[in-house]
Amino acid sequence: MSVPLVPKLLRAHLTELAENNRRLDERGQWDSRNLEIEHSVLPRAEGSAKVRIGDTIVYAGVKFQIMTPYEDRPNQGGLMCSAEVRPLAGRKYEPGPPSAESIELGRVVDRGIRESGCIDVDSLCIIPGEKAWQVILDLFAISDDGNLFDAFAIAGIVALKEATIPAERFEVGKDSKLEVTGTPIMCSYHKVGGRFVYDASFREELGGDERIHITLGDNGNVHSLQKGLKGIFTADEFEEIMGHALERTKQISKIINSL
Amino acid sequence: MGGYGDVQMIDENGKRMDGRGPADLREISIETGVVPVADGSCRMIWGTNEAIVSVYGPMEAHPRKIQRQDSAVLAVEYNMAPFSTTDRMRPGFNRRSKEISKVTKDALESVVLLELYPRSKIQVNIEIISAEAGTRCVGLTAASVALADAGIPMTDLVVSVASGKINDIVVCDLNKEEDNYGEADLPMGILPNTGELVFLQMDGNLSQEEFKQAWDYNMNAASEVHSIMKKALTGGDSQ
Amino acid sequence: MSMSKSADAPHKVEKETGIVIPGDDLGEIKDKLAGHGVLEINGRFTAVKKGIHRVKERVVSVEPIYSKYTPRPSDLVIGYIEGCTNNIWFVDIGAPFNAILPMSLGPSKAEFGGARSVIDIGEAILCRVQEVEETHSSVVSMKGMGLRKINSGIVEQLPPHLIGRIIGKGGKFLSDLKSNSECRIVVADNGRIWIDGDLPGISNVRKIILELENKDFGGGN
Repeated sequence: MSVPLVPKLLRAHLTELAENNRRLDERGQWDSRNLEIEHSVLPRAEGSAKVRIGDTIVYAGVKFQIMTPYEDRPNQGGLMCSAEVRPLAGRKYEPGPPSAESIELGRVVDRGIRESGCIDVDSLCIIPGEKAWQVILDLFAISDDGNLFDAFAIAGIVALKEATIPAERFEVGKDSKLEVTGTPIMCSYHKVGGRFVYDASFREELGGDERIHITLGDNGNVHSLQKGLKGIFTADEFEEIMGHALERTKQISKIINSL
Repeated sequence: MGGYGDVQMIDENGKRMDGRGPADLREISIETGVVPVADGSCRMIWGTNEAIVSVYGPMEAHPRKIQRQDSAVLAVEYNMAPFSTTDRMRPGFNRRSKEISKVTKDALESVVLLELYPRSKIQVNIEIISAEAGTRCVGLTAASVALADAGIPMTDLVVSVASGKINDIVVCDLNKEEDNYGEADLPMGILPNTGELVFLQMDGNLSQEEFKQAWDYNMNAASEVHSIMKKALTGGDSQ
Repeated sequence: MSMSKSADAPHKVEKETGIVIPGDDLGEIKDKLAGHGVLEINGRFTAVKKGIHRVKERVVSVEPIYSKYTPRPSDLVIGYIEGCTNNIWFVDIGAPFNAILPMSLGPSKAEFGGARSVIDIGEAILCRVQEVEETHSSVVSMKGMGLRKINSGIVEQLPPHLIGRIIGKGGKFLSDLKSNSECRIVVADNGRIWIDGDLPGISNVRKIILELENKDFGGGN
């Protein structure tokens, strides 16, 4: 990944904006950009979604494979999340193996979904000790205008929720819907101009500092946390963003469950 | 390729499994500007193929060693998304994708006016979101639209289409089953203005007569595809 | 063996919109000259860019709908310092490659090796293109009226082909914008715009710039 130049003017301007409770695009500190969610968009995937937040656009696709269960867990299948941010999505992404940033992105989204237990790996057994389903969630960026984390996380859970287990294609029974209990949602906050904001745009990320990702489940249960990039934050700041996350995850969960 | 001659894909009346006649193309639609952060982009749906191409540049070529003093470097990458095929495609190095990246680059270099931007780089990223036979053709065609959308100077657009043979009958624009069970595949990249070629591959078994027929099918299809590309670029409706 | 040699007749200009695409035939050469976006091929003019077909006096050209900035001498540009050596700064001016600002054309004298104390990496400058080499790399200069380091306000970006729109006929749009927002606004030839003033004013100007970009007909991205 080539590190883009951070203009000093941008950082100074973002600080002045923050001190006056403003943002580059006139949003409030906790406002999101326009969120669009589509599902069943990939003909070859067993479950899929496309999410657009502002000019950030991502796809998520669910594919199933048959795996041999681990010896110590003969009745369990598996869940694997993989994220790709390729040069297609932005000038800063270079061809070649995934950057540390892209890998972190995939793993953080993975943990949020996995730790919520929304996929019960015990229910993925086909023949104990011999065959089980592996659910593979592939996250694919089309356009990066900031906050790929939340876009991926939303696309991921939507795709899982509409996924169908292709038992017939693998000749192990009848097709059935993948059981997904609960709706884990991630909210990402970026320190811009000295304070945390929700749903940072590309320029805010460029001129900003550290970021924090919070994944909450249906009852506000905390399922994963991650702090990334250089910077220091206080307990008070964290409390404030957790408060926002509690509200916002409920909102997004409602939107997803009424699709 | 391997022909499975006993899979009936075209009947006595020349009707194919998906209802098309021998010379008919699958349905095509094109949109530009689909990757808002790129300099140019194109989304092309061809049958149930979907390709998204973004173009960045011309920009400074890094690392230094890839720079060419007399012309721009065209960096082309063709890649298939993991969910683009029925059996999941593992991300990472793929020889087939590497080869397609190269021949696509060879085709595009023949029309882009690279000498206007020495020492710089033009990045073309072709991603196959959904695959259904003929992805290299969709990729190349969409890439030329994305380059035009990005304002990169070119002597012409490139239309790429593949014809082949099923049950001993030459047909235009193979779909998935026809590609799997057919007896030949001839993809070409055509400059619609002059009928010249910048891309050519073939595998299978075609008599000289059959080859001529397949060649003509591709040439005739080029103007149909070209008018769809033109509509998408000039702001007319794309069907 | 006779096989198809040409797919169709050479393609004509889209009459209704006047927009041409690469490969479109623009007529016989006769006594005309090829301008921007046009090549002479086999006695005829061919469009090589997507844009508006124009014939002005004897020049046939295509005005691109979307294009990157290419520097020309005396262009006023806003650049970002990307790097420096002992006596030159490398400046990103939004062109296919970086420009060079030699110490001798910088804002003030500095000791050899002291470039960063004069202008640091990441800072923005208002400068002029001095000369452009045949390989398209350029030299910029800060010697000149109004040229300086930019220390306040913000720099926004418009695709270069929209600069005319933000300036307006006779400069009216821009001067109205300046008085309504009470901001200092400098529109550079590389599509970068320096806005300086109070926050509400800057935000207003930024909004107008965004509107211009969104209304852009058939634009790139």
